[in-house]
Amino acid sequence: MKSQQDLLMVLSDCVVDMEDDSVSEVAEEYIAAGYPALDGILKGLVDGMQKAADLYEQQEYFIPELLVCADAMYNGLDVLRPHLEQADSSKKHKVVIGVVEGDTHDIGKNLVKIMLEAAGYETYDLGRDVALHRFIDKAKEVDADVVAMSTLMSTTMPGMGEVIELLKAAGIRNRVKVIIGGAPISLAFAQKIGADGYSANAVDAVKLVDRLIGDEAVVLGA
Amino acid sequence: MPEITIMPEEIKIPYEPGENLLEILLRAGAFVENPCNGRGVCGKCKIKHQKGLLPPFSEEEQSFLNAGEEDIGVRLSCMVEPREDITIELMQKEKEHDVLTTGFIPKFKKRPAIKKETFFLSPPTLENQIAYEDIMAFASEGGPADWRFLQHLPQNPGTCTAVYSGEKLIAVESGDTTGQMYGFAIDIGTTTVVVALIDLVTGEELGAEAAINAQKNYGLDVLTRIAYILEHPVFGRKQLQAAIVDSLNDMMRVLCESVGVDPGRIYEITVAANCTMLHLLLGVDAVGLGKAPYAPVFTRSKNIPAADLGLIASPGARVYCLPSVSAYIGADIVAGAYVAELDKQKDNVLFIDIGTNGEIVLSHQGRLLSCSCAAGPALEGMNISAGMRAAAGAIEDVKISPSGVELKVIGGKKPIGLCGSGILAAVRELLLHGLVRKNGAFVKKIILPGDDYRNNIMVEEGNKRSVRFAEQPEISITQGDVRQVQLAKGAILSGFHALLAKAGIPMDELDKVMIAGQFGAHLPEESLVGTGILPQGLEGKIVYIGNSSKTGAYIALMSVEARKEMEKLAKEMDYMELSASEGYQKLFVECLQFPYSRVRHQKSQAVGR
Repeated sequence: MKSQQDLLMVLSDCVVDMEDDSVSEVAEEYIAAGYPALDGILKGLVDGMQKAADLYEQQEYFIPELLVCADAMYNGLDVLRPHLEQADSSKKHKVVIGVVEGDTHDIGKNLVKIMLEAAGYETYDLGRDVALHRFIDKAKEVDADVVAMSTLMSTTMPGMGEVIELLKAAGIRNRVKVIIGGAPISLAFAQKIGADGYSANAVDAVKLVDRLIGDEAVVLGA
Repeated sequence: MPEITIMPEEIKIPYEPGENLLEILLRAGAFVENPCNGRGVCGKCKIKHQKGLLPPFSEEEQSFLNAGEEDIGVRLSCMVEPREDITIELMQKEKEHDVLTTGFIPKFKKRPAIKKETFFLSPPTLENQIAYEDIMAFASEGGPADWRFLQHLPQNPGTCTAVYSGEKLIAVESGDTTGQMYGFAIDIGTTTVVVALIDLVTGEELGAEAAINAQKNYGLDVLTRIAYILEHPVFGRKQLQAAIVDSLNDMMRVLCESVGVDPGRIYEITVAANCTMLHLLLGVDAVGLGKAPYAPVFTRSKNIPAADLGLIASPGARVYCLPSVSAYIGADIVAGAYVAELDKQKDNVLFIDIGTNGEIVLSHQGRLLSCSCAAGPALEGMNISAGMRAAAGAIEDVKISPSGVELKVIGGKKPIGLCGSGILAAVRELLLHGLVRKNGAFVKKIILPGDDYRNNIMVEEGNKRSVRFAEQPEISITQGDVRQVQLAKGAILSGFHALLAKAGIPMDELDKVMIAGQFGAHLPEESLVGTGILPQGLEGKIVYIGNSSKTGAYIALMSVEARKEMEKLAKEMDYMELSASEGYQKLFVECLQFPYSRVRHQKSQAVGR
């Protein structure tokens, strides 16, 4: 029988090497051997996805690789998740994410969502062409930590600023971090509309959220 | 047999008397302009008579000559019959025709909307003090609809010429002006505007001007210009309209002056353009075009007074805008589909106009299905580290070989950057030489043999890799550049596959691919297929039809029947919204893959050792 360490490495490799078919078998084997599911997820699948993100940063991987790696991760998750003990009580941070009203291009948003999930965030995906008030409604409903918006079209950028105004009007602006992204978006625009952050790609988006949430933790702990 | 000698070449043409000079010259292959085909109405077939006897000038011939021409021996070749040895000089050189005439033009029934008729105007008398507008009533049932017509009504009795647009009287001119009838065919691209001056009598293109769209100051692409209007709700729309109208007027003025045509003899202007450009030209709100559900205010053809837009032309002149299909399949594509005769195809034909937006139309045995893909500006040199527009100093083609890199630079100058065709060529070469893998990543230098020729151009600094084509200034293709091309290529190829899938046509049943547009014309087959913008297996099936948008505007100017057909074609063309289609993300991602690199494993110098 393979050691847990060996199987974790194989799980990780399955994800980073885009073995989206064989990952399920490995995950089954891992569970059959009686190892804890949570380790399999965090030290196996998520570790692989993190490596994929590193390769993306090194420009070795691109959108297709990230998406196939994610497929492998999700296939593995399907096997491991049912075996999680209730003990997974570590409170996950919640991200409400969507493409703003007027735009139907969502591949970039999907990538950000995948990377956030791989990093342990709980995402609420509103989809594309999302009516602006729905960001606020959902943020309130799930008590979100982050609102993430994207657009590919410069014509729909103003909607992002409106969402921030709506969050203020609803009195929850100080409870959520707002991040934005998409081809026509820049740091300057993010600052102009009073967003908390901007990232140029999905991998950076995770770092950005980590940092923003981290800041908050520091503030809260202080 | 008498002879005609053409100077200064001293070409001798023996002839049988009995024919006019034009006929003799044309038969011998000499170049003489003769738009009216020797009917004696256009006055274009001038030659200079040097020696020998020619019949005296007729009054008719004299009427076509400018002051002083008679004295230096200018004759109208269709009006003189030589009988003896003569020596002449040709006055025109064959001109290099623009895209319009070199591009593909289908057969069409020539019948412009504009026509002229002469009539005799009896002067009013003291006994009969009839108003001029009433005298004119016979020329048009009920008279002209527009009162402004009266501001330009000549009051010279005698021969007059009535100008009609369809059945509508749009102008009355003194004298017989039937030979002077002009129009403009215009293609308004988001980047480039092309205006052609057309002789409506002969159908000849007398000249063409191209210029950068002056709206570029409000944004390079369609969406940025719409965003400008959103941000400037009070003046934005007017500013954008003024920018395009002013530049059209400038170009039309230059053309009229250089060709020697009175702008008052311009009676119609036809415009093909994308849907947004048409909205902006007419001063119509384009905001709906820039947001889902991408709803235009209008898609049908328009026939409006040129004066309403402030375009210089005869006061009664008309503007005809070709019809669009949807926000992202505009009149430029309808024009192209008409020029490519997509509705008449018996085969499966794919039409592509490559630009910031790639528009694709599939003709499945005459049934038309279209889509638009957001290719982004990478193929036009934007978002590319060493990218630039196609201008002097731009690398337009690249060849890599073991002996080095060979560059083709526009204007033959020192290279300063890469334009769209150069970027594609560069990526093609990188794939071909195995420097970039199928997934778009550069190979690591470590896998190259030490003496490999590719080491000379590949630069590796840590994890950053690039390929250098020139130094001072350094011109390289970076990994990021390849990714940009990959995104553009994925967008276009996915549109291509989506249409084929929707129509249920396998790739091998595609008979032809037609590439439209000025930009596409500069992308050779080997680049298109070599970078996988078009799938492999299409080699030999690709044809280029040039600026079919302008050609479509030209045909609309020359044929009312063609307009009807274009309107029908626009109505019958289906459109699919790619970003909203099922499974699009998966397709797009698959299409990001480059074609298998066909590495020619040259062992470089190692072979000889």
